[in-house]
Amino acid sequence: MKGIVTEIERFSLRDGPGIRTTVFLKGCNMRCKWCHNPETLQVAPQLLHYPEKCLGCGACLAACPNGALSAGEHGVQIDREKCRGCGTCADQCFSGALVLSGKEMDTEEVMAEILQDLPYYRNSGGGVTLSGGEATCQPDFALELLRACRRQGIPTALETNLLAPWAVYEKLLPELDLLMFDVKVYDEEKHKRWTGVSNRAILENARRAAESLPYLVRTPVIPGVNDTAEEIGAIAGFVHSLGGDLQYYELLRFNPLGEGKYTALDMANDFAGVRPGPEADTEPLAQAAREAGLAQVRIG
Amino acid sequence: MENRVNVFPPETAMGYRERIRILRERKLEATQVKSKIKEYQDGDDYGSVPAPEDYHFQCEPNHDNGSWYGYEGWSRNFYKLMSEHPVYIDSVDAFSCRWMYCMVWFDEKKGAAWNPDFPYDHLKAAQEKYGIVPGIGADAHFAGDYEIGLELGWGGLLAKLEEYRRKNPGHDAFYDGEALVIRGIQNWMKHAIAEARRLAEAERHPVLRQNLLDMAEVNEHILEAPPATLREACQWVCWFNMASRTYNRDGAGFQLDQLLKTYYDRDLAAGRVTREEAVFYLACLLLNDPHYYQIGGLDEAGNSLISEFSYMVLEAADLLNSACNITVRVDKDIDRAFLHKAVDYLFKNKNGWPRFSGDDALSKGFMRLGYSQELARKRIAVGCHWMSLPGLEYTLNDCVKINGAKVFEVALDDMMAQGGAFSTQRLWELFDYHMGQAVAATAEGIAFHLEHQEDNEPELLLNLLSHGPVETGLDVTKSAKYFNLCIDGTAIATVADSFGALEQRVEREGRISWEELYRHLKSDFQEPGGERVRQMLQASNRYGGGDTLSDHWAVKISRAFSQQVRDASKSYPGYQFIPGWFSWSNTIQLGKQVGATPNGRRAYEPINHGANPHPGFRKDGALTAMTNSICAIQPGYGNTAPVQLELDPGMGRGEEAVQKIADYILTLMELGGTLLNINIIDGQKILEADKDPSKYPDLVVRVTGFTAYFCALTPEFRKLVVDRILLK
Repeated sequence: MKGIVTEIERFSLRDGPGIRTTVFLKGCNMRCKWCHNPETLQVAPQLLHYPEKCLGCGACLAACPNGALSAGEHGVQIDREKCRGCGTCADQCFSGALVLSGKEMDTEEVMAEILQDLPYYRNSGGGVTLSGGEATCQPDFALELLRACRRQGIPTALETNLLAPWAVYEKLLPELDLLMFDVKVYDEEKHKRWTGVSNRAILENARRAAESLPYLVRTPVIPGVNDTAEEIGAIAGFVHSLGGDLQYYELLRFNPLGEGKYTALDMANDFAGVRPGPEADTEPLAQAAREAGLAQVRIG
Repeated sequence: MENRVNVFPPETAMGYRERIRILRERKLEATQVKSKIKEYQDGDDYGSVPAPEDYHFQCEPNHDNGSWYGYEGWSRNFYKLMSEHPVYIDSVDAFSCRWMYCMVWFDEKKGAAWNPDFPYDHLKAAQEKYGIVPGIGADAHFAGDYEIGLELGWGGLLAKLEEYRRKNPGHDAFYDGEALVIRGIQNWMKHAIAEARRLAEAERHPVLRQNLLDMAEVNEHILEAPPATLREACQWVCWFNMASRTYNRDGAGFQLDQLLKTYYDRDLAAGRVTREEAVFYLACLLLNDPHYYQIGGLDEAGNSLISEFSYMVLEAADLLNSACNITVRVDKDIDRAFLHKAVDYLFKNKNGWPRFSGDDALSKGFMRLGYSQELARKRIAVGCHWMSLPGLEYTLNDCVKINGAKVFEVALDDMMAQGGAFSTQRLWELFDYHMGQAVAATAEGIAFHLEHQEDNEPELLLNLLSHGPVETGLDVTKSAKYFNLCIDGTAIATVADSFGALEQRVEREGRISWEELYRHLKSDFQEPGGERVRQMLQASNRYGGGDTLSDHWAVKISRAFSQQVRDASKSYPGYQFIPGWFSWSNTIQLGKQVGATPNGRRAYEPINHGANPHPGFRKDGALTAMTNSICAIQPGYGNTAPVQLELDPGMGRGEEAVQKIADYILTLMELGGTLLNINIIDGQKILEADKDPSKYPDLVVRVTGFTAYFCALTPEFRKLVVDRILLK
């Protein structure tokens, strides 16, 4: 089976226990306005354009089979309507001015990369984490990857927003050793406004998942969205109510690294220019989470 | 640096921790001064202090060229320097003196390091052709057995010399030279004793006054007799280290938590020392000179050497918080608590210590040469990238290099000049042939060195701590028990990436012809379209990427090189040539010998560092991918191909992160890793320090195998570190 992979990151230390390989699958079913990985939103491969790296060699213009590229006043122009994300142009571009995000890979290819770090997983209690985008946007591929890992004795984890139908999780959870999920905003209307979807199914899925396996919960702290003790307290209160085998709750500081990618995709960025506050500002939020009953709270 | 007294009012608290703090401040002061003096730049921190401006050594040449050579020349000049040596005494320090001069740095040695009576012009053509650093005239870079010196003391060593002089008539030049060396050191010691007593009379602070008196007493005792206490043993080691540095920069230490532990245990049992006091002595020992010391690992019988004293060594280095070259030897059963402690200090101080060596691969590799496991365990990490059997072997470690990129260039030029059908297979055959020629020329150079080095620069200091020289009246280059001679390959990534890029871009993808690519190389990518070709080559799948074409080439290159080096031994009975992969900071110099290469490297740019991939080897920079690649190209005979890492300080934050790094280290060693050097570097800080080094006087980095204060590096050496950060 084939899937679209954004990236495979090895020696990942922050996506679960031990030393891990994180496989980022392309596509997401939410539209969080602060997303720092906008190139992962759609499943199909997408072209990123960094004009400052362009040598002006013109190889891409000749290569494009869809006539999506033209020479403009400020270098190469991309007609996004015509671009099919085939990557023919990027294949001719070695300077990094045109980069295709997303690569079609089959399970064996992904596993070949994963297996290279087997001794590290074994010695550190690490393993493989599926992430996104949202890994459940490619549920069959995700399932096959998890099963392939399990066959090799590699511990597995899934990083998810818990929005997919429960039927998807019903299939995936038995193949997992750890579930990592986000609760981004507690208030439903607010959740809709910032992510484009209701959080009702998410919270429901959380209740069911928490009964099944060890899990950890994370909240990205977004300036002006959820960076108050009230909001974090409400989320933490919900997490506390889940019971089960909660490993820890983690507050993830805002990541502004997606800015360049929005520009490269010709996409609007609602959080352009926003920067995370000092790390010390997150501590009161962590305290609010503790006060809501959570014993293990981390700042990431 | 002046000898200061009465700096502190008598009532000032002067506990051990406070004294270390003061010593550290003074070290930073000295570093600031040294950073502006050429002789002290671009090397290890060494612990030396700047020499006074009013003393200039006048050498007594014994050669028409104005320099000195052989037993007589070296011993006479060393004796003179020791006897005149300025005495620096810090009343806060536990030990007397610091070193200031290195005889091989004197003007008389510049351009005259090799005795011209022994020309080797017949070897130079091949050395130049293949970019060989031949090691002819290279010194030190093997380990002395400090136990010999500590057991005998200076007086005992002198007696030993006389005993064997009688047994070996006709070797008076050797024995006279060795005796003069010791008497020179004793003269320096006598001056130090007198100065300590003079300072004590003036010093009003009771603790410091008593310290100066104790210092004098310690030195009076070890002037002839062997050291009896921990303090005396450390002071004796300081004297040997300072003298040996002054002689020829020798920096090999010993198994620190084994040799000195005996003295500590004895003193502790007798109530002569407290734990805190012992840690202070260790800190002062490390301050005196950040020699390469090993801790941990296994003794000859396979028992762990980790003890409370090992922890004390780490504590001492932590208190000093300075440049340091301690290596923790990692075996598969290492005490996890100790390993975690070591990793913890690495991230806490961010000074590039400790390093980690891999017991399993080192021992197994060395045993492939026919040595026993007991001996293999004694071969400890005491150099930049190297191991040595204390007192038992002569090695030329880190002194002999072959420029793999130059060999590759010769092979490619050969193939293109010959014409016909071009292929990576044909290129490989030519590369293999030329590497064989390069190894043979290197081996011949080493044999030449061994034949004449005693007439050039005998190892008058390390001979005293070796098993063989004194007993035979011959320099160690003639009398070592084992000749395990290092031949390091360099540029493995440059060459592997070049082969990989050719196979991928020319042969598999057909994007460019051999002729067109060669034309671009020869024009250094300056012709129209050249930059695009360069970037295409550079974007090929690289060594360090994980199971890439270039990774496969690297394994092939390393195996062939190892075999060639081993085969060369057959022509020199009694010598074992041992392969390794390490460039030291020769990356710059070796790069300047080679034009553009098919990995997209521009002409005369540096080759890769040691066994590391070129920066930018993989988008996520995955350490595991890089580590697997380096472990796969280990030379396999007990010498190293180190892993050099630059880690972000945030990576080791918290107990869980420390555990993960410890797990990584254990896995690396399980996969065959031999040595791991780690820099914990805040990228932003390094970039700012590069703009103005004086803003960060206490920033320490591990440049290659050694650590140095960043401010003491020239821009060219800083670039070595900065590039690894920027491009990783």
